[in-house]
Amino acid sequence: MRKIQTLAVLFLLTISASALIAFPVRAQTAPVIFTVGWGAAPMDTLNPTAVTLYDGGAYVIMHLIYDTLVRADVNGDPIPDLAQSWSYSNSTTVTLNLVHNATWHDGQPFTADDVVYTVNTYLAHSEFPIMRLYVQNVQSIAAMDNYTVQISLKTPDATFISELLPAMYIIPKHIWQNVSNFTSYTNSNPVGTGPFKFTSWGGVNTYVQLDANKNYFLGAPHIDQLVVRYFTSYNSMALALQSGEIDYAGPLFPPALAQSLSSTNNVQVITRPDQRYYYFCFNGYFNGTGNPALRDPKVRLALSHAVNNTALNEVVWNGTYATPQNTVIPLTFAKWVNPNIQAYDFNLTEAAQILDNAGYKPGSDGIRVSPKGVRLSFKIEVPSDYSEEYRAAQMISGWWKQIGVEAKAQITDTGTLGNEVSAWQHDTFIWVWSVGEIVGPDYFLSMFKSTEAQPNPNGGLSDSGFMNATYDQLFSQQQQATDPAQRQQIIWQMQQIVHDNAVYIPLYDPFAAQGYRSDKFTGIPGGTLPPLNQYASNNLFLSVTPVSAMNQTTMATSQSNSTTVATQGVSSDTLAAIAAVIIVVIAAAAVLLKRRKSGPEKVQ
Amino acid sequence: MNVAYVARKLASLVVTIFLVLTFNFYLFRVLPGNPFALLFRGAGLSANAVRGLSAQFGLDQPLWIQYVIYLRNTLTGNLGLSFQTRAPVTDLIIPALINTAILLSVASVISIVIGILIGMLAAWKRGSKFDVGASATTLVLYSMPTFWLGLVLMVVGVIYFGLPVAGMRSFTGVTPGTLGEVVDLGQHMVLPLLTLVLGLVGQYVLVMKGALLDVFTQDFMITARAKGISSQKLLWDHGFKNAVLPMVALVALNLGLSIGGAVQTETVFSWPGMGLLIYRAILARDYPILQGAFLVVTLAVIIANFAADILYPFLDPRVGES
Repeated sequence: MRKIQTLAVLFLLTISASALIAFPVRAQTAPVIFTVGWGAAPMDTLNPTAVTLYDGGAYVIMHLIYDTLVRADVNGDPIPDLAQSWSYSNSTTVTLNLVHNATWHDGQPFTADDVVYTVNTYLAHSEFPIMRLYVQNVQSIAAMDNYTVQISLKTPDATFISELLPAMYIIPKHIWQNVSNFTSYTNSNPVGTGPFKFTSWGGVNTYVQLDANKNYFLGAPHIDQLVVRYFTSYNSMALALQSGEIDYAGPLFPPALAQSLSSTNNVQVITRPDQRYYYFCFNGYFNGTGNPALRDPKVRLALSHAVNNTALNEVVWNGTYATPQNTVIPLTFAKWVNPNIQAYDFNLTEAAQILDNAGYKPGSDGIRVSPKGVRLSFKIEVPSDYSEEYRAAQMISGWWKQIGVEAKAQITDTGTLGNEVSAWQHDTFIWVWSVGEIVGPDYFLSMFKSTEAQPNPNGGLSDSGFMNATYDQLFSQQQQATDPAQRQQIIWQMQQIVHDNAVYIPLYDPFAAQGYRSDKFTGIPGGTLPPLNQYASNNLFLSVTPVSAMNQTTMATSQSNSTTVATQGVSSDTLAAIAAVIIVVIAAAAVLLKRRKSGPEKVQ
Repeated sequence: MNVAYVARKLASLVVTIFLVLTFNFYLFRVLPGNPFALLFRGAGLSANAVRGLSAQFGLDQPLWIQYVIYLRNTLTGNLGLSFQTRAPVTDLIIPALINTAILLSVASVISIVIGILIGMLAAWKRGSKFDVGASATTLVLYSMPTFWLGLVLMVVGVIYFGLPVAGMRSFTGVTPGTLGEVVDLGQHMVLPLLTLVLGLVGQYVLVMKGALLDVFTQDFMITARAKGISSQKLLWDHGFKNAVLPMVALVALNLGLSIGGAVQTETVFSWPGMGLLIYRAILARDYPILQGAFLVVTLAVIIANFAADILYPFLDPRVGES
């Protein structure tokens, strides 16, 4: 009897609970919301002076809120932003004419005062991790009138306009002049001049909400709101894109997942060149503890001829999601890439010949020995963060074996490998260089400077130990070469030196694979985006347009937008089921407890 | 209750906490790699910029000075600044703790209640089809890789039930501050909750069943049965009461651990709790966050255990007497 009673109670509870919970929450909303799923580093700070470029999490969002004086176009050439034009009166003095119609998000007008304030603030704070780097070469700045500023540089600088200014956010004086401690300032409501206004941030690892800036001086975005949601798993992000929970997903889908996404209805996969490249490094440092045979350029050259980066690309990147690369500057920076440099011929006979001629004869076990008696036996290390490159290391080891060189492929913890490299203990490894604090060829060329090749703590970026006086000279020349054609020639020459000395074997330049809902939005540019705007940028989200809006105007060639995607709202059945489970559990516990209490009380 | 017993437990609590603090410091100093050196590649910082950051975080100081600073700061509730965000670690941990608590508290309660019930029933009907079936099922679920189970549930939940994929909230169709917001949160919780409960329930079932079976073989149970006590009373007052001790230990341990979030579940479902915070911090080698998170988790485990120790004498008066 009791059982039936209990069951009945439970049943009633379940029904009432589901009725309660299942009632509708869906409301029709007018604003066009573009939801971006983001699989890379999440937003980490709202304070632009504190941006560390730590995987660029904050950078992506900051670039939507704040403008820079100059932007870069797809070729990396400077185009107007807050500065509508600029001119050098001599090699170290540049005058910038500012736009007249830009306003801060709080309605205040943007003037030359803001630019002067920004540059002086960055100059005064050596503790700013990134922003100060863009003004390092600035001597002084002055406002000529409300919309003109003049900047004096310490030395002629080819990178100032084209590479430094496109990354330097302009901040409003009327807000920041009241800030006393810049490091601890949270800037909880950032005000910029950019195409999107900050609305809210859910905290680390959550989301950022932005509203379109309808007064944006370069034209308002075509969407009303932008939501950036951070995902930790590309698998779940792919599902969210398929179900329509997000409209855009990026920045770097793994090849296999991109492949499967591209066969999904209404999802368009785009690939763009990424600003990084994979390379194979030899430790040629004169005083390291790695295998000393690698200090001989002939050995490095021979080994380079025994690596086929096209074949590696096929295996590791499916041949589709990366391009083999021949030199040390990512292909995005096309005009700086020396087109005359070809990959080292993959030719095992030639490789063996070079070693034979240099006196590296096979020992009793078939492994070559240097004239000084050093066995050609190396470690090929792969940092754990890029463990998929282990297959490449294994293949290289296989090729080398055929020319009498022993190589052991192994995965090493990224931090440990970093330590080994700074102490010059490594033989060879595969790793990645990606775009640095300065967007341009500079950074990718800087790691071959002699001054970078020192043991820590005085050392820097060098992992090859390459030192070459001519190269060093050319490096400073290119920095000061204000004529782009001349600078290009110097940079090409520098790449040739690196190539001739077989310092690195450049491997490949991967694409960033991203996806979006083509049934809902259009206007998302494929192909190359400007440097710095590679992943997501004001450029990218400025042109995004809802498909329905396009239909209303002209676009007859629309994709089917009749297929509405079943999402967001949960069916009431599901809700009822959930509610039921919870209620049943609670009720069951309650009933059981009650039974205990009401039981006969004696027996001791 | 015995005062000496409590004092003894309290003393060991303090010593443990000090050891944990020291170990926590040491652990992150012996880990290889200067976290900032990785910025060379991850963020392309110059050597100068990296040196500046290292100095800012005191990493250029001798180890013992770093240790003294660390102890002083920790004792005053200052867990340092995150390498990544340069925000106070406490500001990052507190919201993550709240999000984790929302998810894990519900998951724990559900799995404990279900686990106890199934475990008791399985023990009571030992060898029956129910026992074999329940034990096998929960064991299989328990040993299933969480991320895989989560992904499978996600695919099913999203495609067949239209549940949201990840995160804690929707951005359309929900008015803030209404019942709808709570329902929306509930919808986002369903899949991670299910994943957690399925994974957690197994150990409760097995421990409950084992403990109860143990009790059933005791002499007093036979005596009680011989006295003609009803099955129900036998199960609850004689069986459950005596079998509850190992359960309390397990629950205390799990509650403590759950403060650390469920790294895999939170990662799959992008649930912004402690597990996700820890996961991201590991990727970025953000040692201050990890150090802070580990400290909070170990403290939670230690305190939960302490609570269990204090609770024992009430559940079993024999415990605090010796």
